[in-house]
Amino acid sequence: MSFPPPPPPPARARESPTKTSSPGPIQSVDVRVEGLSKRYGAFWALRDASFEIRPGEILGLIGPNGSGKTTLFRCVAGVSPATSGAVLHAGEAIAPKHRKHFLYFVPDGIRPWPDQTVQWVLRFTAGLHGATVRTREEFVETLGLSSLLGARLRELSKGEHRRVMLAVGLLTPQPLLMLDEPFDGLDLRQTRDVMSALTTHARSGRTLFLSIHQLGDAARICDRLVLLSDGRVAGEGTLDELRTRAELGPAHSLEDVFLALT
Amino acid sequence: MSTHRTRWLLEKELRELAASRSYWLLLLVIGALVGHQFMTASSIYAEASGAGGGPAALSQGLSPLEGIVVPTLGAYDIAATLLFPFVVIRLIANEKQTGALALTLQSPLPFAATMTAKLVALLAAWLVAGLAGALALFTWRGAGGHLYAPETMTVVLGHLLRGLLTIGVGAAAAALATSAASAAIVALTVTLGTWALDYVAAARGGVIASVAAYTPSAALRVFEHGELRLATVLILATLGVGGVIAATVWLREGEAVSRRIRDVALVGLAIVALCVTFARVRQSRDVSEDRRNSFPSADEAALRAIHSPLRVTVYLAAEDPRLVDLERGVLAKLRRTMQEVDVTYAARGRSGLFERPDQHYGEIWYQLGDRREMTRSTTDEIVLETIYRLAGRAAPSAESERVYSGYPLTARLGAIPWLFFVAWPVCVVFAWWAGRRRVVSRRRSE
Repeated sequence: MSFPPPPPPPARARESPTKTSSPGPIQSVDVRVEGLSKRYGAFWALRDASFEIRPGEILGLIGPNGSGKTTLFRCVAGVSPATSGAVLHAGEAIAPKHRKHFLYFVPDGIRPWPDQTVQWVLRFTAGLHGATVRTREEFVETLGLSSLLGARLRELSKGEHRRVMLAVGLLTPQPLLMLDEPFDGLDLRQTRDVMSALTTHARSGRTLFLSIHQLGDAARICDRLVLLSDGRVAGEGTLDELRTRAELGPAHSLEDVFLALT
Repeated sequence: MSTHRTRWLLEKELRELAASRSYWLLLLVIGALVGHQFMTASSIYAEASGAGGGPAALSQGLSPLEGIVVPTLGAYDIAATLLFPFVVIRLIANEKQTGALALTLQSPLPFAATMTAKLVALLAAWLVAGLAGALALFTWRGAGGHLYAPETMTVVLGHLLRGLLTIGVGAAAAALATSAASAAIVALTVTLGTWALDYVAAARGGVIASVAAYTPSAALRVFEHGELRLATVLILATLGVGGVIAATVWLREGEAVSRRIRDVALVGLAIVALCVTFARVRQSRDVSEDRRNSFPSADEAALRAIHSPLRVTVYLAAEDPRLVDLERGVLAKLRRTMQEVDVTYAARGRSGLFERPDQHYGEIWYQLGDRREMTRSTTDEIVLETIYRLAGRAAPSAESERVYSGYPLTARLGAIPWLFFVAWPVCVVFAWWAGRRRVVSRRRSE
């Protein structure tokens, strides 16, 4: 399966009024999430989450349902305000409204533009973000969307819709792509194909940050992992590093590591 | 590149509108509303012109502005109140409910560009709905009816601004409310609130009446009277655009709620400040063909030469019909003409029916400098004589003003039902079906 490289970054980044929040045209990503917390009334959905996102890696955010993965993603992407904490790029805090210059976030469970066709949504995304027609056609081919181009988004199954949203994310040029539950709703074969596609995409230089609740999927695709439990980061590193930290041998799975550390 | 992206945003909004059932329903209903209004208005106009064989009205009273244009386009006031808000709400609330907002907020263009595209698309949608009104006016012209372009275009401008105001209210409601249903309730509550304000203002006058002069119904009446009042234009535009700006500020979901509340409050304050400022703007033009909003030209020239402020004290209750006559026939014209007119409404009662006879009820005092004079008349000739006496000037000699002759038309427009109750809905349904068919057939072909 061949996979096209990510589209070029935006030709011009918008100037920022504050000196601490302007990322400028970012080609690669080196991000540190520092002490991110989010509170809903008396409930803390996230508490002091800190970790690193390295250039070109596939970083997996794993944790059970309700552990705060989506909240963390939304706060990092800047589409939901954090109660405290910061997202740093090259040591500089980036204001939420400027994070779109270096990251693109595809949330889980959204059903945007239900009355539009797949073809138009992909054309719109490519046009808005400056992707070429060739890139768009290659993603359509790779993700098996050719037969769906004339369908409205409201007519798609969960798995089909997931692949369209994946294509939307892949058509964007930002060096960091955040996908919330990219394998949810996909069957075994589709999951394997999409994993292969994402791995190829990451090799072309784009950093991927994936939120995954299936630990088996995460272990197969991710270079490094961030373990989230009850809104706290319980561990960060490669599977081997996490095993060492959990004092477990190489035969132990990610599930064992997760249970040991949380 | 930026223009290219803006074009994509605009296309998205137009496509979302085309996919909106509420918009197609608006198009379908507006044809019937305009058709009904036009049919009724043209029938009454023909009868008044003598078509029924009965006595014809005085031709001076047969003005196409109030006989045809205002009642026909009045359908758009109903649409702007009861139909168009749902089109606006759907376009914005859908974005929130489907999660598209999270993607839109990450667009390379500022979020304000997205909201501007929505505003432009909605205005375009309102203009397309205006085709039914245009069809009616063309039909009227085709039948030999008269239209005076400045006054007709002023009414059209009024409805355009009415649409803009609806967009502002709908956008703000859709942004602030949690769901489309709640937003619809908020928008209808605002409409009911303005009606209540109109009602209270009619009974109380004073500051409430000053505010109520800019409710949608009251503001539209200014245009319908053939007056192009800059203050009304500016305030309606401010309220409409201000609502969209407030929605833009509130929808930036990445910002903390406290900050968004503060920013929306600042936008609200700016809107109020601008409206208060614009309310002082006195520029106005009488664009009516019969110059219904003006004194005769010679009187206007004489009044403009009076530089002292004119103070008027009115002892008439807000509900008294004499006050309505005085406002429309005299005070509004004086405000348009003289440099400074200060009106005090001194009656304390509400109806005038139960004022004590020893009070000043019914009196209208005019003061220029230290000279005062009272009259109970509400007709412009007597008031003008009073003002000239106070100013120590002779009344100008009556010049030969062009007399409005009116435009009677006895023609019965038999094509109206076919146009608006058959051809219009068929065209709307066909356009909707053609748009859907294009998508469905594309899927089948693949």
